[in-house]
Amino acid sequence: MSNNAIRRTGTGFGSGIGGGGGINGGGVPRHSTSILATLQATTMIDTKPVLPAEILVAILEYLPVPDLLRFARTSRRMREMVYDDTRWVARLKSMGVWDETEARKRFEDAVRRRRQMSASAGTAAAGRGGGTPTSPGGAGAATGGGRGAVSQANRESLLFDAGLEEERRQQQAIQLEQQRQAMAEMRDGFETLKVGGGSGQDPIRDADALLQVIKNVKSVRGHAREEYGKIYGALAPFYFDLVKAKSHTDPLVFKVFREPDRQAMMLANLQTFAKSDWADGSQQRREKLDGMIDIFESAVLREFEQGYEFWDVDGRMNKYAHVLHILNGSTAGVDLFIQKHPLFSDREVLANSMECVNQAMADSITLEPSRRFFEVLTQKVNEQSGIIERIFPNPGKVFWHLIDKIREDIIVEYVTPLFDETHERSIPSYLRAVSGIFEQTMLFLRTLTPPKGSGVDQEAQAKEIALKIFEPHLDLYLQDEIDDFTAQAEKEVEEWDKKLSEQDAHAESFYMASFTNRQADKRDFLTSFKKVVMMPVTVLPTSFSLPLGSPFASSKPAPNPVAPSGTLTPGPQASCSQSPAPGATVDRSGSPMPGKAPTDELAAKAALMTSRLEGIKSLFSIEVALSLVHGAKASLGRVAQFIQLGGQAGGEAREQCEAIFVVLLRILGNKHVKPGFDLAVTHLSQYNPREVNEHEKGGVAPLVTFIELVNVGDLISQMIDVFYEQQLAGPKIVDRNDFLDPAGLAKKKFEQMLDESVAAGLNKGIDVLMDEVEYVCATTQLPTDYNPGGITAPDSIIPGIPNIPGIPGTEKPAPKTQQQAVDIDLGPSKTALRVRDLVSSHTSMLVGSTEKSMLDVFNGEVGLRLFTAVCKHLKRQRISTEGAMKLIADMTLYYDYIRTLKNQDLLAYFKALRELSQIYLIDAKHAKEMATIIADGDRFGGIFRAEEVYEYAERRADWYQVRKDVERAMYGLECSIM
Amino acid sequence: MTTEKPVEKVILASNEGTKITVDREVACRSVLIKNLIDDLGDEAVANDAIPLMNVNSAVLNKVVEWCEHHRNDVAQSGDDENDNRKKTTDIDEWDQKFMQVDQEMLFEIILAANYMDIKALLDVGCKTVANMIKGKSPEEIRKTFNITNDFTPEEEEQIRRENEWAEDR
Repeated sequence: MSNNAIRRTGTGFGSGIGGGGGINGGGVPRHSTSILATLQATTMIDTKPVLPAEILVAILEYLPVPDLLRFARTSRRMREMVYDDTRWVARLKSMGVWDETEARKRFEDAVRRRRQMSASAGTAAAGRGGGTPTSPGGAGAATGGGRGAVSQANRESLLFDAGLEEERRQQQAIQLEQQRQAMAEMRDGFETLKVGGGSGQDPIRDADALLQVIKNVKSVRGHAREEYGKIYGALAPFYFDLVKAKSHTDPLVFKVFREPDRQAMMLANLQTFAKSDWADGSQQRREKLDGMIDIFESAVLREFEQGYEFWDVDGRMNKYAHVLHILNGSTAGVDLFIQKHPLFSDREVLANSMECVNQAMADSITLEPSRRFFEVLTQKVNEQSGIIERIFPNPGKVFWHLIDKIREDIIVEYVTPLFDETHERSIPSYLRAVSGIFEQTMLFLRTLTPPKGSGVDQEAQAKEIALKIFEPHLDLYLQDEIDDFTAQAEKEVEEWDKKLSEQDAHAESFYMASFTNRQADKRDFLTSFKKVVMMPVTVLPTSFSLPLGSPFASSKPAPNPVAPSGTLTPGPQASCSQSPAPGATVDRSGSPMPGKAPTDELAAKAALMTSRLEGIKSLFSIEVALSLVHGAKASLGRVAQFIQLGGQAGGEAREQCEAIFVVLLRILGNKHVKPGFDLAVTHLSQYNPREVNEHEKGGVAPLVTFIELVNVGDLISQMIDVFYEQQLAGPKIVDRNDFLDPAGLAKKKFEQMLDESVAAGLNKGIDVLMDEVEYVCATTQLPTDYNPGGITAPDSIIPGIPNIPGIPGTEKPAPKTQQQAVDIDLGPSKTALRVRDLVSSHTSMLVGSTEKSMLDVFNGEVGLRLFTAVCKHLKRQRISTEGAMKLIADMTLYYDYIRTLKNQDLLAYFKALRELSQIYLIDAKHAKEMATIIADGDRFGGIFRAEEVYEYAERRADWYQVRKDVERAMYGLECSIM
Repeated sequence: MTTEKPVEKVILASNEGTKITVDREVACRSVLIKNLIDDLGDEAVANDAIPLMNVNSAVLNKVVEWCEHHRNDVAQSGDDENDNRKKTTDIDEWDQKFMQVDQEMLFEIILAANYMDIKALLDVGCKTVANMIKGKSPEEIRKTFNITNDFTPEEEEQIRRENEWAEDR
């Protein structure tokens, strides 16, 4: 704005070129009297072109300060140009002492004060004044025009409230007054100083003021010139004196100030001041100054070095370090200190990293030497920390410089050969070395005690330094880690496969598992697993050699301890199979490892589980899964160390952790579990009950195997879940809620795969089970079971039983013991018992191994199919009234069994079946009642229609005798006619 | 871009109509001419002279002489005009000699440089003028620059006192 104002007048002025200048110029020679002289002057001036204001401004830029201010004295307009605040602000800015925010604050404070005043006056002017502070450059214009420009009365001036202007001027006047006083003092001080410099009077007080002058500068809009004046007044004499000096002893600086620290401070000030000097020849001046500072600096450095040689920590070193700091941040001194530091030639510290390899056994590594190395280093460095604090004014920075140097010269030198060597020798030890040393390094960096008040975040510094050390190795390491794990895991699975195929030939299948207490076992196992997983990695013995007891040692065909059960006794078979189980497990868990007891709880439990789950060992092994998980855990634990680095490296490490988990699931899932399931399903589908001789064992062999498999699969799945929670989600490696997370996805996929396999298998399993049920029904049900009438007279039996239909409660099977003597057993038939046991043993096996919903579906399906099978079976039988007792007993048996499944829909079917069985009990004489029952749809809950019931009624042994009566009663017409 | 060979020479015309043919490269030291060629295209300037209405032939010759000498200078970056470094560079010897002209001519050159937008020449001119001012008393400055003194003696004295800190020792 001020520029505008100047230009406007400037153009008027500049029109002198055209000739108008002559008239203007005519005013100049005020003293001349004769017209001729005036004319002469006019013509003389007229020849001179006049430069426009903008060029004048440019010219002023190049003027040294004294000339600039002399120029200001030539005319009002020139003064305005010279006094223009921006010109001086630029100089202050070039020295870095102008604070724009401070200036704005001062300005706004002033405005606010003024507004409060005007508010009390209640003038409309306040409203207009409010607009002022927002107009940029307002301050400049206000001052630039402050004294003279108001008269210009241009458009801009409308923006300014007259009151504001007034107040400003008053303030300015006051400040000017103060300024003048201050300046006078300054001048005086300077003059004394000048004298004092030579005559040895006390210059100390004034000298202090001189030293502080740059710090004391205020940023006030409109007063930049005065502020600059203070600095100039104080420093220019020294500056120009120094420039003129011929040798380093000459300058006033060194005469006035005797102490090196004050000299340094002054030199630093001069260096700052030199930045605002850009007049002609400033380059040479600056070079001269820099040269002088160099001489000074090297002298100080020499002193510092001498102090260093004598280890004069608190004396010379401290003193000169401070001097250097004042001068230019003392980088030279710090460099010297660090370069020559005795730590770097300390024999005690410089260890040979090869010890880590040499002290260990072949292909292995021990981190004990490196731990010692870091311990010694920590101790030494912490000693230095104290010393640094005593020497340097900015110990924090120096300390971290030193640490950086230590990193470069000591740690990297130590670490790199070790990594290279181990990488060549063996990958596993390389992996351990990298992770272990990283841990030690972090510990080292964290236990450092940096000087107090360094203002540096130690953790951040530690990470940065650790990153610098390990960055070159990190990529290789992460890659090796995952490669190694993949290779190990694959080897494990392959080995297992190989062994499996070797012994497949003589692997006598043993399907008798202890079904009891399965859930408790599993929970027990999982707790131990969780415990182990939570242990730190280092606690684990080398994971892959965990003495779990090889699954194959125990797989030699064990003598079958289970006596052929359930063949003769009609008692519940499950109880038979239970009893030998504990003995068997004890036997087997002991046998595979006679010499060494399992080293930890988990191993023992795993062994126990294995022995129990021997039946499925040919499909997949929980031990393999366990050892894979252990491998993953070890790798993960090592990689996870690096996550704390944060940033890109940390992110990579995190991704690698997830990758390891994904690999684990891939190998475990696709290469181990899935083939097992597939095999089991194949076995299932190939099963044909007619081809198998032994049906006496109470289970369909492949189905039992499969269900065991489901169990183990579930166990593995839970294991993975625990692992995921503990290792990945727990330490925040993965975000559980991030549905795009690869680890989470892999886990879901794994679980889904498991579920699908289970579902497919169960589907097959139901078929197989029902085949077996039908086979049992077909082969074991004797015709006499339901129709003893072939032997005895049909109407001579059961005299005591009331043949009132519809009261099922009375038809409960009588206790067996009472019936023993009777040749007709009123208990359920053998076949029914076997079918019941067969089905229930399989359904109960699943409890706790799959999720509830799947179990319900399975049970529902099994029940429905059982119902169909029973109905089908029923239609093949011929039942006499006497046999009906047995049938009812059978149906009640089924009913009771189904009730345990707690499935209401299913129960309705069997209830109907039970009702249905009563029609056989009705004596032939009561054909009419029979017909009523047959026609009574409600009785069977809608399960059977009348036609169906009729069909069943046909199966009565005496059907042809009663048929006529029944039909008559049913179709009713004849009945009513009679 | 036109396929024909770019014009190598351009003709500049002073306000008196005198024409002077210079290499395009030389002429383009002037941002004014450079922009003009860029805007109008090569054909427009191939045959017709570029009129420079504010520059007489003597000055134009002088300016062209300067441009010829500085034809290979690195083009100054227009940004960062506040950079102090540029201000501090001293006038080189050739330029010093070049600027040893009478004051009228010096001012004309500065005006022409300003008009033709030749930053480096303008800088050199301003520096030369600054050197002329150096060490002069206010009265001498007034004479040199044809400035009317509108201060009362008291006012002038006050300014002197205000800025006493800057006076040479």
